[in-house]
Amino acid sequence: MILILGGAASGKRTYLASLGYGIEDVADGVLDDKKALYGLEKLVAADPEGAERLLPALLEKEAVACCEVGSGVIPIRYEQRRAREATGRLCILLAARAEKVVRLVAGIPTVIKGA
Amino acid sequence: MLILLTGGSACGKSSYGETLAVQGPKPLYYVAAMEPYDEECLQKIARHRALRANKGFETIERYTGVDALKLPQAGGTVLLECLCNLTANEMYIQPDAPVDPVQKVVAGVENLMGQTDTLIVITNDVGSDDEAYSEQTRAYIRALGEINARVAAMADRVYELVAGIPICLKGETV
Repeated sequence: MILILGGAASGKRTYLASLGYGIEDVADGVLDDKKALYGLEKLVAADPEGAERLLPALLEKEAVACCEVGSGVIPIRYEQRRAREATGRLCILLAARAEKVVRLVAGIPTVIKGA
Repeated sequence: MLILLTGGSACGKSSYGETLAVQGPKPLYYVAAMEPYDEECLQKIARHRALRANKGFETIERYTGVDALKLPQAGGTVLLECLCNLTANEMYIQPDAPVDPVQKVVAGVENLMGQTDTLIVITNDVGSDDEAYSEQTRAYIRALGEINARVAAMADRVYELVAGIPICLKGETV
């Protein structure tokens, strides 16, 4: 599995497309049988407590893209803090198991794990 | 040796900080700046304590005034967590006795540097979103941003953690 990280609008979907995943291959914030998933943060926000249970299904994917939501001022609302933390911790687990981790900054992919 | 670790929430800063700290000379101190003012803080503290358990850390709780902290023994390793809490505490715990948070927190790091062989400092990236905050919060973002820049300038190594992966921004690459 290749994990793709980056802030909002940093080029994650364009990078997925560059890997050959067309619109028909990429699920947006839902778990289905498509090869790639975009918007993991939306899945986590819907059920932060259950985030770790997503792990087996995510590891079956060829590519998973997740927005880095942990930067910026810590939110006042507990639900937002909980979703940010759950997303971060799930990404740590995914990154540890991924063959490759790519981080997007201003559309530029940097491989931070694997080759 | 001063090492600064930065990154957003839940990116693996604490865990990596502990990994680096246990490689440093003993004694091993954990300077905790989070004041336990509610249940969520207590849960965070409990989680961090569990992570550190059996790793040989002596915990020192210090919410403000790290510039005046005297360690029980010099020459070891300190993991200071974190500048974001320390800065907020300096700004908000005693609003009737304002201090310059930048000067105070940077002096705290310098004070610990003078008493340790290895100092590992954890901070947070609070500036990477929009600026739609109150003047008080914007003052905090500016103060922590300046503190981060000043500590990074003093540091031998700076890493940004992304999903548990350390990205070297300054100094030696792992």
